[in-house]
Amino acid sequence: MADLKEKSRSGVGARVKAFGALPAKEQANRVGNLLLNNAMYIIIVLAIIIIAIIKPQFLSVSSIINIVSLTAAKLPIALGIGGCIVLTGTDISAGRTVGLTACIAASLSLTANKLYPNLGVMPIPVVLLAVILVGACVGFVNGFSVAKFKLHPFIVTLSTQLIVYGTILLYLKQGTNNGQTLSGFAESYRGFVTDELFRIQNVPVPRYVLYAIILTVLMWIIWNKTTFGKNMFAVGSNEEAANVSGVNVTRTIITVFVLAGVMYGLTGFIDAARIASANANTGLNYECDAIAACVIGGVSFVGGIGKISGIVVGVLLLQIIFVGLNFLSVDQNLLYIVKGLIILVACAIDMRKYLVRK
Amino acid sequence: MEQQPQNPEQTRPLRGLYRHVKISVRTLNVVIILGIAAIVLCVLFGVAHAGYTVTFDSRGGTDVPSQEHMYQEYVDAPTPPTRDGYVFTGWYVDENCTTAWDFETDVVQGSFTLYAGWTLQEAS
Amino acid sequence: MSGNTSNPNGENSPVLLRMEGICKSFPGVKALDNVHLTVQAGTVHALMGENGAGKSTLMKCLFGVYSKDSGHIYMEDQEINFRNSKEALEHGVAMVHQELNQALKRNVMDNMWLGRFPKIAPWLPLTSEKKMYHATKAVFDELDIHVNPKTVMSKMPVSQRQMVEIAKAVSFNAKVIVFDEPTSSLTEQEVEHLFRIIRMLRDRGCGIIYISHKMEEILRISDEVTIMRDGQWIATKAAADLTMDEIIRLMVGRELTNRYPPKTNTVGDVLLQVDHLTAQYSALSDVSFVAHKGEVLGIAGLDGSGRTELLENIFGTATRKSGAITLDGAAVRNRNARESVRNGFAMLTEERRANGIFSILSIRDNTTIASLKKNRIGPFLSNKKLRLNTKWSIDAMRIKTPSQDTKMRALSGGNQQKVILGRWLLTDPTVLLLDEPTRGIDVGAKYEIYQLILNLANEGKTIIMVSSEMPELLGICDRILVMSGGKLAGEVDARATSQEEIMTLAAKFA
Repeated sequence: MADLKEKSRSGVGARVKAFGALPAKEQANRVGNLLLNNAMYIIIVLAIIIIAIIKPQFLSVSSIINIVSLTAAKLPIALGIGGCIVLTGTDISAGRTVGLTACIAASLSLTANKLYPNLGVMPIPVVLLAVILVGACVGFVNGFSVAKFKLHPFIVTLSTQLIVYGTILLYLKQGTNNGQTLSGFAESYRGFVTDELFRIQNVPVPRYVLYAIILTVLMWIIWNKTTFGKNMFAVGSNEEAANVSGVNVTRTIITVFVLAGVMYGLTGFIDAARIASANANTGLNYECDAIAACVIGGVSFVGGIGKISGIVVGVLLLQIIFVGLNFLSVDQNLLYIVKGLIILVACAIDMRKYLVRK
Repeated sequence: MEQQPQNPEQTRPLRGLYRHVKISVRTLNVVIILGIAAIVLCVLFGVAHAGYTVTFDSRGGTDVPSQEHMYQEYVDAPTPPTRDGYVFTGWYVDENCTTAWDFETDVVQGSFTLYAGWTLQEAS
Repeated sequence: MSGNTSNPNGENSPVLLRMEGICKSFPGVKALDNVHLTVQAGTVHALMGENGAGKSTLMKCLFGVYSKDSGHIYMEDQEINFRNSKEALEHGVAMVHQELNQALKRNVMDNMWLGRFPKIAPWLPLTSEKKMYHATKAVFDELDIHVNPKTVMSKMPVSQRQMVEIAKAVSFNAKVIVFDEPTSSLTEQEVEHLFRIIRMLRDRGCGIIYISHKMEEILRISDEVTIMRDGQWIATKAAADLTMDEIIRLMVGRELTNRYPPKTNTVGDVLLQVDHLTAQYSALSDVSFVAHKGEVLGIAGLDGSGRTELLENIFGTATRKSGAITLDGAAVRNRNARESVRNGFAMLTEERRANGIFSILSIRDNTTIASLKKNRIGPFLSNKKLRLNTKWSIDAMRIKTPSQDTKMRALSGGNQQKVILGRWLLTDPTVLLLDEPTRGIDVGAKYEIYQLILNLANEGKTIIMVSSEMPELLGICDRILVMSGGKLAGEVDARATSQEEIMTLAAKFA
């Protein structure tokens, strides 16, 4: 490499020569590296192009707005999990927490409330406060156990996931509901989330797209412009060094998980209104999508690496590919396998980047 | 053991979940290519077996056969099921029978089940 | 074999291991420069040198932990090039580590036969406990070790665990056995037992490489002594021809030239006072000293003498059992790093890569992490302030970097160290605790670090600096505390002392 540089200094002609003289193998290696490190983007973009050719309505305005709305719905949870991954952890209790908060938001907004017959429809701020509090509580338990017991986040969030699931089931048994799906929400709640923001060619864009944008901006500020954000990256990058530098490692870890919990709570709040129902299966496997999106978006399991923009792109790409496969009428059950494979391959690619640098 | 001036490239701790990773780039390349191949195969298999199943849960009424449909197709309205002592009120998306399925405007978005709605037959 | 036993110096015995012209360099540092070492059968060959002289690097090259840049290694006249320690073991080269790598929850024989458990029959993939037990017992009897092969490792004292490690090496029929500081955790009787075993192995025709700091031991046990310094071979002599003073002279050897900037700092009043500091989880006990304003206070001692632990206890990253710290007349508690930073302490850690730098973050992030609170406007960080402070640090420390956004991993060791120094200066500390500030840094950068340290002392800051390199301590410190075995062995004036005096003090409680 060094002599290559030398040569390149001695004029354009020499540079061309030098490039030509570069062994073909090395060039092939470089191309190979580029291809493999971006393999995930390449196949997703290829897939999108192919799907768009087969099914031109895939690129219609309504389809695009559908993709954007789906992205908006899945974005907050991915933003939450992104923080956990930056800390070299993860959070698999996310989906169930979304489910619990969705059920809570639903139960507080039912017109005919079977859980609490005497409870009327709660005002939106109360519902929001409730889901934020519940999400934060789950996040706190996760964060506290990770920070204080030094347990691996997998184990901690696996247990909270079970606890939360049990809580959902019990919660849905309240009153005379007997575990049934909650549906039939007050218009004030549904409208707050799904009313149209504006129309593009007569296709309405729902309000929660705006909420997702607000949350994204908020998270960007938190990650990039606050002490906490800097501390988070420092802890993720080297916990020991962060401690010696006077960073409150415990508080940072707990805050990351609490923040993630709040994001799950808000996702649950949006999701119940978006789907217009909530049951024990709401939010199931959302964490898989979110983790896959983060890894595709370059939030590395190495720790201390990640960008909000990457997460947004990751969620968007993932939603595009799944809506696209939907257009091709591919069986949903198969999509689970595809998702799993995508996570594995994305991790392998991520790992490859850091091994190559080593 | 005493510390030596060490090669930063060699001893840099690869932190995070990859701390214990001991795999060569070559092996990883194979894993990545195989993984991508598996994804493509899965998708191809899915496309070859494309189609969504609409299941009808008549909930005590006579059986209604399920239908195969592509994305964004309309569901053919089946022969209404019958049930002793009840009157059929239509097909619903949810078990609580709050959202009705409109065979004229609603399109297939994936595999799903429609639930029959029943009301007690008036004694008159 | 029996022919050699009568000749302890093994003058005519065959050469077992020959390392020739071994070179190994790391970026910026030449760790080994044309080193050679010859071990004869039936002799104990001591390898001596200061910390960082290259003994461990040489052994790591032998065992394939590092790949050597050039040079040859011959084992009984056959060139060898081990890729890992397993391969070395199979060729009869074993090492008894200073830090034992054993499966502590498993029993003795499991550890002995790990990776090569005897099977009941060649075709049956079941391990035979019985065979294992008897084989272990046989080796133990041979070496006169009285340990039940079924004892769980963690229930035995370190000395016995070490015996097991030696027995393991013997069970591999090792011809060359390397002992790396084997006596550092042994009592006197245990040392005697170890020596009996070493002599027994020697008489069986093994070649022993014995690495130690303890000169009396070396003179007692070894037949030949090779001395290394600064990654270079200095001398190989028969132990009988050497005296302790001679060894020290050869080990320390070098002249003090102007490798150090002129000392211009003036020592002021007492700033920091440490009284009867005892650690909860380490050997550090009852350390008291004072440090003055504008003073560079050195801490010398061997590895494991409690130097790092002393700093960690002052800074609060290790738990204190008892003792008091007084800063400028007021008691400070320093229960954790955050509190210490608030109290005006700063600490440069020994393991720069493990707990000093954030290698994947930018220089700006690395510089400002300890002083983020000063870079805020309201609740938000100000990019402008962050940039200004980082720029100040880069200028003041003369850090060579293309930009503030450069990742820390791209910098050389010296520049990384300067970034960390800059990080701490931004917190405006009054006491700087530096643990091996020049480790792994090339000579030119070392000078710059020394200059920075002295400049800081000039500004009236108190600097407490741990170093394994004695010339460095003598070159820039005002006073030097010598640690030994977790205790304070003495205090010397840097201008009036000698390396020999420090070495003697360092061995006081070891």
